[in-house]
Order: sequence, then structure tokens, then C-alpha cells
Amino acid sequence: MRVVIAEDSVLLREGLARLLADGGVEVVAQVGDGPGLVAAVDAYRPDLAVVDVRMPPSHTDEGLRAALQVRERVPATAILVLSQYVEERYATDLLAGGALGVGYLLKDRVADVGEFLAAVRRVGDGGAAIDPEVVAQLLGRRRRTDPLASLSPRELDVLSLMAEGRSNAAIAERLVVTEGAVEKHISSIFGKLGLPAAPSDHRRVLAVLTYLRT
Amino acid sequence: MTVEQAAGTAGGGGIWRVLAAPLQPRTWTATIYLLVSLVVGLAWQIILATGLTLGTGLVVVWVGVFVLALTLLAWRGGARLERRWVRAMLGVHVPDPYRPLPAGSLWQRARVLAGDPATWKDLAYLVLLFPLGLVWFVVTSFLWSVALVLLTAPVWFWIPPAGQSPGFDNGQQARLLIDTLPEALVAAVAGAALCVVAAWAVRGMAAVQGAVALALLGPSQHQLKARVEALETSRDRAVDSAEAERRRIERDLHDGAQQRLVALAMDLGMARAKLESDPAGATALVGEAHEEAKRALAELRDLARGIHPAVLADRGLDAAISALAARSPVPVGVEVTTGRLPGPVESTAYFVVAEALTNAAKHAGAAEIGVRISRHRDLLVVEVIDDGAGGADPARGSGLRGLADRLAAVDGRLTVTSPPGGPTVVRAELPCGS
Repeated sequence: MRVVIAEDSVLLREGLARLLADGGVEVVAQVGDGPGLVAAVDAYRPDLAVVDVRMPPSHTDEGLRAALQVRERVPATAILVLSQYVEERYATDLLAGGALGVGYLLKDRVADVGEFLAAVRRVGDGGAAIDPEVVAQLLGRRRRTDPLASLSPRELDVLSLMAEGRSNAAIAERLVVTEGAVEKHISSIFGKLGLPAAPSDHRRVLAVLTYLRT
Repeated sequence: MTVEQAAGTAGGGGIWRVLAAPLQPRTWTATIYLLVSLVVGLAWQIILATGLTLGTGLVVVWVGVFVLALTLLAWRGGARLERRWVRAMLGVHVPDPYRPLPAGSLWQRARVLAGDPATWKDLAYLVLLFPLGLVWFVVTSFLWSVALVLLTAPVWFWIPPAGQSPGFDNGQQARLLIDTLPEALVAAVAGAALCVVAAWAVRGMAAVQGAVALALLGPSQHQLKARVEALETSRDRAVDSAEAERRRIERDLHDGAQQRLVALAMDLGMARAKLESDPAGATALVGEAHEEAKRALAELRDLARGIHPAVLADRGLDAAISALAARSPVPVGVEVTTGRLPGPVESTAYFVVAEALTNAAKHAGAAEIGVRISRHRDLLVVEVIDDGAGGADPARGSGLRGLADRLAAVDGRLTVTSPPGGPTVVRAELPCGS
């Protein structure tokens, strides 16, 4: 997998590059701002861009805007956005174009190297990686009549992990249950929330996130 | 009170400044103001007389109250216009003296409106405008017309109309007859001199009118003093609360992230020492250090968010409050019906909600919280309602007092109603510019 890194802190940029290289990911370019990212994607056509939200010159959501621009110019590029804070609203912006090949993670998650590399691969392969904190914010949102209240605690766990973009196998491993049990929970959740059964993992993430966002 | 006055300031060419007065735009804007004020004054005389007599006459039937209210609104509007007009034409800046209108019902607003002394001073000003305007009009038009007629004498002295002599004609008997060139030139010089006199007379009348406007349309001395005092206290309190905030941040850093980093460094140091002798122990220590580092990161993030949430600056109140609500342990309903506002207003509103949510969840034991943020003209109203135990007292809780200070610093107001048994309503009103 070929990756471009956009991160303005040199320390973190070098660290990320080393971490990804150690994990067998090829880092083709490293840039420090939004325009640099757009240019690097145009030049190298990477599979994935790892982008920091806050970058110069505005130090607000420069990276996010550059990522959306990349998405528009080269739609095949997967985007993994890293941020010091995760906020549901940024996730909504990012996911507006669909959850395929999109990741949005807290910067701290880099510390769990194995998990982080798995998320990088998942997003690079066209999957999704949504930070648990974003999912918690989405779940914590109040709705007038809340169908989530009808879910059992276990089903809520499964729903959260699904929204993070994890596969059945990963969910089963995390909750220490069999894949069959996970599948049963999932069909029950889809039934209770009135969602149509989704044919693939990717579709499923999209359906769940769309549901949680509205 | 700012009187933008160019005249009277001593400088080079003082005499030229005096003589050039008729050529300065200020003289002419003032002239226009003085001439027009008769018409404006007359119009208000008619409107007010009609509205007030009709209103009081019909007050027994309810229509009268309506007519009176309408008249009151009309003269307040008229006073606002007059302030702008005075500023544009006379260069006198008259600040708004009005008490802030509450965002409550029509009846509450009407009471504040009618109870505001500024409303009645507005009325006095508009009533006074007619007699003043009459004087200004007569004097101004007389001076300028005579001055201009004399000044232009060399142009027309040679065309005597049939049976009449050009010049200043007073009825049948001409007191002043100009029919030769030297006479015309003398008249022109006199006219020029009179122009200067007229210009200064106009300036003088404009100054009087400006002073009347300041006295009746501007804030009273008492109001200004009260305002200065309020500003002084709010500034002191803002300084105090900023100081307290800095101490809190220092303490949080010291107790939180800093301690964690010390523990992390210790774990890593020990692991390094054990690397050769006890690899298994070293691995465990590195694992602990890893966890410690992640906790330090989370604490720093929360701390930074508490100082100023990035999402507030990037996406505004709605997004920031939604995120706040999502993190609250108690279910929170959010209704934000305003767009982007100036930074200080947004952050004050944000911290009102943050503090109220913390209080409701921590002290009141609320099961449900509602947040509503809406804009009523140039007032932003923030309301946080919870169904908790009530009995919150802003005089005792340091959090609520800190909020009151924060609001005072932006000219806002905090009211907390919290009867024992609840519900508690924290309401903040802050001016958000127009």
C-alpha cells in the first residue's frame, strides 16, 4: 500500500512515517500543509492519505478541507484523518461523501500500533475506521423517540463496533463471542432499527452511520 | 459624549480658518439641518398631538391603549432617526441611552419601554424640535438670503426691472438701492462679510441644537456614572476570574498530565534498568508506561478543550453545544437557532452551557436537561433547564458566580431561578451586536 502523510509537526510526521514503514506500508511522500497534500496526491496517486486536521496556515480545519478536495479530484484516494480532538460535526463533513475508504481517528490511537495499522489497512482497502469517541457522540445524541433504547446492552456494543467500521470477525474477537453470535445480534439490531439488511461490511457501516447521523 | 468639533482649535492661519467657514462642508450640512428641522419639528408636532389626544381620548375603549403604544413606538423610532441625522449633519455623536429590552413577552417589553426615562426624554426632544426649528429656520434663511443677495450684487445690479430697483427692497420704499458698479462691489464685500457671519451663526445654532440633542437624546449624567461604575466592577471581576482560571489550569496540569508523565518516565527508567536482567518485568513496565502516556494524552486533551474548544471556533455554537451534549452523562436536548456570532459571544454562551450542564449533572441530579439558544434582535438568549433538585444559589456556588462575572465582562446578564424541588433555569442574556 502507498501512503502520503500530511502533518505539520515534524516530530509526529517522522514518527508516523517510521511506524507505517515498520508496519510494511510504503510512505511515498510527506507534506506539511493542505496545498502540499493536494499536490502530492496529484503527483503520486497514493492509495491512502493520512491527514492531520489542524495545519498551517489557518490552524483550524485546513487538513479536513484539503482531504475533501483530494476526495473530489482523485476519488479513488482513501482518506484517514487524524485529529487532536474528534468531533461528530467534522465526521459528518467527512462522511458526507460516503464512508468508503474514510477514516477519522483521534491522534492518540497511533499509540496502539497494532490497532492503528489495522485501521490504516482497513481504510486503504476501502473500509471505514471511525473513532469510538465519535461513535459515542453519535450514540449519545438524543432523538425524540429513541429506537436505540430498545437495544440490549450487548447489541449496543455490537452497534458501536459496527459503526467504527469493524468486520464481524473483529467484533467477535473484541467481544469474545463467536461470529455466529455476532451475526445474530446484527440481524436483530437491523430489525429493531428498521434498516434493510446490507450485503457487505462497507455497506453496513454506511447504513449504520447514516442512521446514527439523522 | 463626543463633539467632533473642528473649529476653535488654534492652529496656523487662524484668521483664514475663521474666514473660510462659509466654504466648509460642515457649515452647509448644519445649514441644511437647521432649515429642515422646522419641517421635521412640525411633522412631529402633528403626529404627537394627534396620537396622544386620540389615544387618551379612546383609552376607555381599548383602542386608545393601542394608539398610545403605537405613538410611543413611533417617537422612539423618531428619536433613533434623529440621533443618526444629528450625527450625520451636525457631527455630534449621541449614544443610545436605552435600557436593554428583555426578551420576554410583549407586555414585559412594553413595561420596560414605558418605564425608561429615556423614552420620555425622547418625547420632550421631539416636542421641543418645532419651536427650536422655527427659530433656526427664520434666522438661518434670513442671514443666508441677505448675504447671498448682497454677494451677487455685481451680477445683477445693471438689470433694474421696470419700476423697481434691484436691491434690498422693503415694501414700497427701497432703503437700499444699488445701481452703480462701485455700489455693487461694496455690496458684494458686505455680502461676503455677512456670509462669514452667517456661517458662524449657523455653527453656533448647530452647537446649541447638538447640546440639546445630547442632553435629551443621550444618556444622563447619572446613567453615565452608573455605567462607569458597572464597567469598573465588571473589569475587576473579569481580571479576578481570569486569574482564578489561570490558577485552575496550572493546578490541573500539575495534578494531571504532569504527574502522569513523571510516572511514565519512572516506568521507562525502571524498564531500561531491567532490560538485561528481567526482560519479562521490563515488558510489563513498558506496557504500563504506554497506558500512562495514553492517559496523559486524554487528560491534556480534556484540559485543552476546557480552555477553548476547537470545534467552537471552527464550526460555531450549534456544533460545539451538540458535542457538549453528547458527552454529558445526562440526556440533553439541544435547540440552537442562530448562525455564527462574534467570538467572545460564542465562547461566553458556550461556557454558560458547559457550566450549567456540569452543575445539573453533578449537583442537581437531573434526569433530563434542555438547552435552548436563540437570538432576539441584538440579544442572544441562552437557557439551560433541568429537572433536578433545584436550590442552586449563584451567591454560593463559585461556578455560577464565575459565569456571572464572565457575562458581566461582555455586558450580559445571568439569572438563575432554582426553587427547592426544581426545576432550575439558568438564563443568560448577552448583547451580540447588530
